[in-house]
Amino acid sequence: MIQLFRNSRKILGMNARNLEFIRPNNLRRAKRLADDKLRSKKMLMKAEMPVPRLINKIKDVDELENFDWTTLPESFVLKPNRGFGGEGILVVYGKKKNFSDTWIKADGSLIAVNDLKTHIRNIIDGSFSLSGVPDIAFFEERMKLLKLFKPYAYKGIPDIRVIIYNKVPVMAMLRLPTKVSDGKANLQQGAIGVGIDLATGVTTTAVLGKNKLIEYAPGTRLLLSGIKIPYWKTILTLAVRTQEISGLGFLGADVAIDRDLGPVFLELNARPGLSIQVANLDGLLGRLRRVEGLKIKTVEKGVAVGMNLFGGEIEEEIEDISGKKIIGTVEKVKLFGKDGKEIEVEAKIDTGAQSSSIDTKLAIELGYEDLLDYFASLEMPTDLPRANVKQIEEDLRNKYLVGHPDLEDIIIIYSSSGVTIRPKVKLEFDMDKERVISKVNIVERTGLKYPMIVGKRDLKKFLIEVK
Amino acid sequence: MNQFITLALTNGVPLDTLILVLILPIIVTMIAFFRQVVGIKAFGIYTPAIITFALLATNEIRYGITIFITVIIVGTLTRLLLKQFRLLYLPRVAIMITIVGFSILALLIIGGIYNRTGLASVSIFPILIMITLVEKFVAVQIEKGGRAAMVLALETLIISVIGYYIASWDMLIRIILHYPWISLLTLPINIFLGKWTGLRLTEYFRFRQIIKPR
Repeated sequence: MIQLFRNSRKILGMNARNLEFIRPNNLRRAKRLADDKLRSKKMLMKAEMPVPRLINKIKDVDELENFDWTTLPESFVLKPNRGFGGEGILVVYGKKKNFSDTWIKADGSLIAVNDLKTHIRNIIDGSFSLSGVPDIAFFEERMKLLKLFKPYAYKGIPDIRVIIYNKVPVMAMLRLPTKVSDGKANLQQGAIGVGIDLATGVTTTAVLGKNKLIEYAPGTRLLLSGIKIPYWKTILTLAVRTQEISGLGFLGADVAIDRDLGPVFLELNARPGLSIQVANLDGLLGRLRRVEGLKIKTVEKGVAVGMNLFGGEIEEEIEDISGKKIIGTVEKVKLFGKDGKEIEVEAKIDTGAQSSSIDTKLAIELGYEDLLDYFASLEMPTDLPRANVKQIEEDLRNKYLVGHPDLEDIIIIYSSSGVTIRPKVKLEFDMDKERVISKVNIVERTGLKYPMIVGKRDLKKFLIEVK
Repeated sequence: MNQFITLALTNGVPLDTLILVLILPIIVTMIAFFRQVVGIKAFGIYTPAIITFALLATNEIRYGITIFITVIIVGTLTRLLLKQFRLLYLPRVAIMITIVGFSILALLIIGGIYNRTGLASVSIFPILIMITLVEKFVAVQIEKGGRAAMVLALETLIISVIGYYIASWDMLIRIILHYPWISLLTLPINIFLGKWTGLRLTEYFRFRQIIKPR
């Protein structure tokens, strides 16, 4: 009971949000700026923040009549300047082949110049602006979906909402558009919100719509937790900088990641929604109270404080005690091959293996083709009795190691699939940001799920967590 | 009877007017309470207040509720129908008001045919108020989407019905006529509500997953 009470005290409700955070921190001038997309875009551009490029704007009916439609690119987004909740936004994916005035919309349907004109007339007339005041329509560059998000997002572009208070990022979520939300990243319209651990940028818990907790992306077996968001620190830095620029003391910053451009700032929000608390299964009020009154001088400091206060607590604690990093049974590994080649693969962590091994094909990609050719040309003994294995290995080493500069060692391995003689090469790789200098053997692993195994010898700096 | 009331009555202020004006602060305070403490939003404060009085002005509350629901249903259908024409806002609302108006007329006639004379004899004032409700409904539909508008319409109806029963509560009317200044007690109550930063009741439900200890 006391626990229930304490938990509810951490939650930020509508009343407290409006009275304690929006009212004193977001002055009217700043709020108006946030509601005016073109003005905030201009301001952010001036401060050299990355924003989607403005293609053109249409202020009134005269401009609409004289608009040169051929100046529009293949794909673009049409928005009302004072729109809200994603209403009135039109996403165009490409031009219809051999037509100069017909485009293809997000859902595959066609849209002609006349339809665009009606839509823009509605925007200008204020159909999508809050109090129906006349509005401006503008075209901006369409963002390109990041590969990482492709399986999770339906049609639209996911974005990352970060709540900033007193220059500290306090809470964040990844918003994934769904079929229900019609490609919009708006929780009210049925999008998915996934909580993010601020220290690591890894997703935690997920909510569909306003309060349905889910584990998998709808209709798939894709776990929503554990997604590592790229450019995490940059995203937080962008969000905090926006607070400085905009003067909004309590701010919801929306950042998207473009496939080519990286993090791009989408929108300022003077009245951020409260569902982010459900996505993170944590209250905002508790976090806001912790950063209230802190004197944060620089953007970097603010980002660091947020990352330290609101994330990674459990994992970091263990890492601090043992001095070891915690990894899973499958881990992303970045291999550094010859001539500066870098390849990222998923490796299986296998404590049953002594040393690490990589697949032949991967070895070739890393620049060891020459060595493999040399190794294949060698004469190998066929009879390998277990008792003499040390002696045979020794003989092979003496005979062949001098023959190729890349050949570090030759070993004989007895495994469930039989006996193999394998070449060993020096190879460096990064795992969970930790550099490992290893000698790996090369073996045919075609048909196996992971092109690499990390064995015991390379796991000294790590603890393995089995899920 | 209170001196102030007597003064008003002897100078020709109708009793009904007196009662309504004195009860209005209580109704709007109740609406504020529902928003800030309970979390039932409705269409702002004006719409539920005026609907409350429209209900009071219909002969029987069930007729008022019938008209309200008809307006919302017809309003929704008309909106879906007009969507494909992509009309500008004001002409679109004008068309909706027209169609809703005719539907209400049809409703009154049907009521007459089935000998519900009470329905047909509802005065024009509440009917007009209900019809123009459709504009608020459309505005919210654009702003927050169709489902949210439905929920808000339902909340408006609930609050208005509660308001109706408060405003037609004999005991309260008698007290108000004896101590008209009681109405001013709503001022400190509203100052308290205006400073209230606790969770709304509906928010305990909305955030139940966070509140639940893990």
